Amino acid sequence: MRTMKTLAVSVLAAAALVLSGCGTSTSSVKPDDVNPEGEIKPHEISWLLSRPVDGGVITAMKQIAADYAKDHEGFELKFITTPDRPSYIQKLETLAAANKLPELFDIDATPFAAKLAKKGSMVDVEAMLKDMGLYDDYRTSALDYQRFDDGSLYMVPFESQVEVFFYNKALLAKAGVDIPKTLDDIPQMCAALNKAGITPITMDGQDMWPLERFMAYYPFRESGNDYIKKLKKGEAKLSDETGRKAVQWMADLGSSGCFQEGFSSTGYADAQALFTSGKAAIYNTGSWDLPTLGTEDLDASVRDQIDYFLLPVTDGGATTQNEYVAPSGIGMAVNTKGYDPLVRDFLKYALEQYPKVYGATGQVNPTTGDGTTLPSNATDLYQRVVDESDNVGDVTAMPWDTQLDSTSNTRLQQELVLLVQGDVSVDEFIDTMDGVIAENGPKAFAE
Amino acid sequence: MTGVESLPSMRSWYKQSFNNVEGYRHHRRITVHRIITWVLIAIIMVIQVYPLLWLFITSVRTEHDFAAGDPFGIPQQFTLDNYARAFESGNLGRYILNSVIVTFGSNFFIVILGMMAAYALQVLRFKGGKIIRMIFMMGIIVPVQISLVPLFIDYSQVGLLDTYWSMIIPLAGFSIPMSVFLFSSFYQYIPSETYEAASIDGAGPYRIFAQITLPLSLNTIVTVVLVNSIFIWNEFIFANTFVLTDDLKTIPLGLQNYIGAMGNTDWTATFAAVCVTITPLMLVFLVLNKAMIQGLEGGATKG
Amino acid sequence: MLPYRSKKSVLIFLLPPLLFYGLGVLMPVIQSLFLSFFEWDGISDMQFVGLGNYAKMFAGDAVFWQAFGNSMIYMMICLVLQLGGALLVATLLMQLTRGREVIKTLYLLPAVISTVAIGFLFQRIYSMDPVGLLNRLLQVVGLGDLARPWLSDTHTVLAAVSVPEGWRFSGLYMLIIYAAFMSILAEIEEAAKLDGVNEWQLFAKIRFPYIRPVWITTVVMAVTYALRGFDIPYLLSNGRHGQLVTTYMYRTAFTNTNYGYASAMSVFIVVECLVAVGLIFGLMKRKVDE
Repeated sequence: MRTMKTLAVSVLAAAALVLSGCGTSTSSVKPDDVNPEGEIKPHEISWLLSRPVDGGVITAMKQIAADYAKDHEGFELKFITTPDRPSYIQKLETLAAANKLPELFDIDATPFAAKLAKKGSMVDVEAMLKDMGLYDDYRTSALDYQRFDDGSLYMVPFESQVEVFFYNKALLAKAGVDIPKTLDDIPQMCAALNKAGITPITMDGQDMWPLERFMAYYPFRESGNDYIKKLKKGEAKLSDETGRKAVQWMADLGSSGCFQEGFSSTGYADAQALFTSGKAAIYNTGSWDLPTLGTEDLDASVRDQIDYFLLPVTDGGATTQNEYVAPSGIGMAVNTKGYDPLVRDFLKYALEQYPKVYGATGQVNPTTGDGTTLPSNATDLYQRVVDESDNVGDVTAMPWDTQLDSTSNTRLQQELVLLVQGDVSVDEFIDTMDGVIAENGPKAFAE
Repeated sequence: MTGVESLPSMRSWYKQSFNNVEGYRHHRRITVHRIITWVLIAIIMVIQVYPLLWLFITSVRTEHDFAAGDPFGIPQQFTLDNYARAFESGNLGRYILNSVIVTFGSNFFIVILGMMAAYALQVLRFKGGKIIRMIFMMGIIVPVQISLVPLFIDYSQVGLLDTYWSMIIPLAGFSIPMSVFLFSSFYQYIPSETYEAASIDGAGPYRIFAQITLPLSLNTIVTVVLVNSIFIWNEFIFANTFVLTDDLKTIPLGLQNYIGAMGNTDWTATFAAVCVTITPLMLVFLVLNKAMIQGLEGGATKG
Repeated sequence: MLPYRSKKSVLIFLLPPLLFYGLGVLMPVIQSLFLSFFEWDGISDMQFVGLGNYAKMFAGDAVFWQAFGNSMIYMMICLVLQLGGALLVATLLMQLTRGREVIKTLYLLPAVISTVAIGFLFQRIYSMDPVGLLNRLLQVVGLGDLARPWLSDTHTVLAAVSVPEGWRFSGLYMLIIYAAFMSILAEIEEAAKLDGVNEWQLFAKIRFPYIRPVWITTVVMAVTYALRGFDIPYLLSNGRHGQLVTTYMYRTAFTNTNYGYASAMSVFIVVECLVAVGLIFGLMKRKVDE
């Protein structure tokens, strides 16, 4: 097939009259060649990333890069950010197809990333961090989140989040319900809240991933991450007991009106507003929302009523209370093309400095050691949720959107909405999805 | 048709009676008719204009008012903070400048090349012209998304990625067919006598193009520019694919910078930014409105 | 045809546009056609699959055909709103003695708002919780039972994503049609009015036949833009339920990295548009001949 590719590329470039023969043929290292020989020659490098422009990560890294540039004249780190995730993924994929990825780029541990790694485009981050003497500083959960199925690590985490269920005490009291002990309590709780005229759970359905989290909860409680790891390859099915239970639970959530009407077209800000304005009782989100939920900026009437609980368990489940979704955000991959002594030197410097600078922005570090400096107007809640990061158990739930192949994932997201809205039945859902995964899953994960 | 000769006098009579229409009883039908017309117009105008008004009103709301209050009500507080934030988190001036460059650049090629092709096809004519015309017309219907991957690979080969050209080439390329279509429809209506007369005077194809066709095309040029500017000013797909650095971001891309973590968005600031960015196009619109509409009238009459 | 023209002059006028258009449009299209015979994820080696992608599209992909049906409905809604609205407003304008300029300008305004803003605006209009404008209106006029989350309800989502696209560009077509109306000699209309012709007859017998060439242009424009329609459905529904062929193709290429299959779909869109335009010209021409 090599020749086919050569042919294809030459056709694609057919009209490229001025073939850039001069192409700055940057050297490429082997993935495990993490400390290349040579002199550190400062030059400009780029980071293609998908993070908010004024967010903690970019702010911290900008400052670090500026400090580094003081001692290394000619060095500059260019940030090319596309915060909107779908647009970002499109850009990343076109760049990958054109073989034009920059020195550093953000990517989740998706099958696409695994292919890139297999192709030798990404530096072995585990080897790199060990070589820099930084590996042991990282939280296990933060690194695990970035790993591929075979345990290999190709992305550096920059965050550490925990995802919890924030709730409004007053609203629960009004409806006369307690926080759910098990996942099976949730549908009943929703029904009671609905009766009292309260939106039970506010859902950002537009971004798809929040609803998909719910799909992951039941199987995770029942069998850890095993189920999804098998399901995505077509080795397990939704028609299996675990799968069917999970699908049924999702359907129950829908039929007991757990989410606000029209949730699938509600955006992030609106979903959050339903909670912060005291209309919705529960909001399942991550510690990244603490600057909104855990500071005095929030309206006092709601602020004093907010508390949180962790992902409820199931009877006789395989995972414990302190094991849940604790993502370390989209990771940063290091391109083997262009990895030179300078890139290594800068990364070593940056990753050493990062925890101190980032922790000061009120965020939790992916490393242990440097703590988090809370904002001056933080409430007690802020501190308590931050402390949860240190108690996270051994296994963290893998979000399904980074596990499934993209075709199955897209379809699952669409069908989930229909399932929860009651537009398709449990059986129809299982049939459709098992079919889609059987067609795409094994192909995507073939060795 | 009756009495063409007597038209002028009849027309003045008609106009007169029309102007005095409210004063006469027997014209009530016309009055009712006019009221219905105005009511319909009023409804349609509300539908067309309200959203824009809403944009501007939202851009001066406080964040809290927007999130918790009634987004369609009258704002409880007036604030310009959103504008401050909009200018802080994005390089609005730069985005506008980039959009202007891309819009002008694309329009330049769309007009010049469209006119040249239409002139060759419609005025000069040649064997195989039909096929060439077909090839151009096909471009009207090609979905732009398909060109993204191939163009990206081509551009990266020739070093055009992340340049103004990477946006201008496909934007102009995909608009040329419609431009050729509009210009040739217009050229159909230039009587051949005009050209014959000029030819007898010894003018060659270049002089005829410069001295006859080009000046006559002014109205159509305005039409073409107007229609394309609207599409190009807000174009998102090409820019998003081919532009990497902040320095080249156009307005729609720049607006993306207001999207925060996990999809959260500072909407009031975004709307402030939207208001800032649509203002240039709107101003041009309002100022050149008359000329543009005249252009359309001229272009459409004959096209 | 000009008497004094040389082959050279034809080439001088024809080559630059052809070259530009060839490089910017034709070449990528041909490259796509080529890609449609392969399976390719952008990073692995390409695999030649012959007509496999087309076979999948025609035989095995229910989602594709659903998207195709959606595209047709989307086109119809856009056409009715854009061309119907344009004709209506242009006709109304003809009856006004004052304020035409202002109304024309205002009617055109939505066209200048960027798609991103329109997307969010209509989310607000359709939303259910918090209550959006449309649902509020329905409640006010006593049709509260009809209130629904328009973008989530699978029965309404397609119409809901079509309307904004129809709404925003109606002004453009109105201007073109209005301009054509204006070019009808006042004498003809006035003479007809004196003959006692009512507004409807005036429209059906005089104005509309007169502007037929312009009408064909606008129909072709509207149909092809609608078949290629993308941004608003993409932004408003994330291309989920009211999925069109274009949004499905885009996702297949850029979310699912199946460039080969996506290319096959875009070849389909090109063919589909060709057929549509052929039909329009065929039908219109027949009418003229009659």
